[in-house]
Amino acid sequence: MNPEPFLQLDRVIHEKGRLAIMSMLAATPSLSFTELRDSLGMTDGNLTTHIRTLQEAGYLSVTKSFQNNRPHTACALTPAGQQAFRNYINLLEAIVEQTKAK
Amino acid sequence: MRLANSDFVVQSKSMHSNWAADHLQVIRTLMERSALYRRALAPIMIFVGLAGLAAAGLGWALRISQPVSFVAYWYGVGLIGLGGAFVLVRRQAWKQAEPFWSPPTRRVAQAFLPPLTAGFILGVVALFKPSGLSPADPAAGGCAPLWTVLVGLPASWVILYGCALHAAGFFMQRGIRLFGWGLMLGGCGCLLLGHRLADAELLCLSYGLMGALFGATHLAYGIYLHFTEPRGNAT
Repeated sequence: MNPEPFLQLDRVIHEKGRLAIMSMLAATPSLSFTELRDSLGMTDGNLTTHIRTLQEAGYLSVTKSFQNNRPHTACALTPAGQQAFRNYINLLEAIVEQTKAK
Repeated sequence: MRLANSDFVVQSKSMHSNWAADHLQVIRTLMERSALYRRALAPIMIFVGLAGLAAAGLGWALRISQPVSFVAYWYGVGLIGLGGAFVLVRRQAWKQAEPFWSPPTRRVAQAFLPPLTAGFILGVVALFKPSGLSPADPAAGGCAPLWTVLVGLPASWVILYGCALHAAGFFMQRGIRLFGWGLMLGGCGCLLLGHRLADAELLCLSYGLMGALFGATHLAYGIYLHFTEPRGNAT
């Protein structure tokens, strides 16, 4: 089996929690911190850490604002994040296809 | 026990494939879950609520009680409601430079379609054969046709509309499903109540039902959403 696709997998996205965040954000323009936390069942601290890692990689942008006088944090994928996610999916599909073909 | 090298290779291939396929499945599930319909519902609810209240008031004032006029009148109101909702959704999509027919919009429309089609067909059946839906035998006399058109039909519309909202609620905010349940139970309550009323009171119940369940509840829910739902976060 060619190990090439596996080795090319983006380690930033490959972590379970970050992959879940990227997957949620890939299907919608943006999600609030609360929506992400509730949907993924993460703690505030855990989610904050993952978001920071993705932000540092340039995959995610965070916008802070006020809604109904309450702080609102919205997360969205950056174009680089969208591209990285697409690449990640393509590699996973390549791994599946590779095994099917043999 | 000793395993041949080839066994390890075969196992490794299968594990890689399973792992990758599982990951893809998890990603698909998460993406579906997050792709909820997020366009602002408050303007739509307020518009439908006002249209429902105005239509109920006008219908009551004009005393529209003939089956053909009654069904045609509410079909017209339904068309206005649908048309208005379409324009509002289209406007939001246009303002945010997003496609109107997005996957969440498509799923919500697909969930709405069967109950709304059933409601439309029920109206046509009641129009052409008013006694067909009656629980009593019309040949035996009584007010069965009147009950069917003025109470049975609007209550069925409300119940089916509640079912539509509940089905669409799986792709929308959580409150929509509860709202759908409320309408379904309200419609069932009107069916039970309608049996006890005299002919003269049926018209009042009919327009009261449409005004309260299609008008007032939408208006109240729309006002609630107006002050609570996030803005500028659409899919």
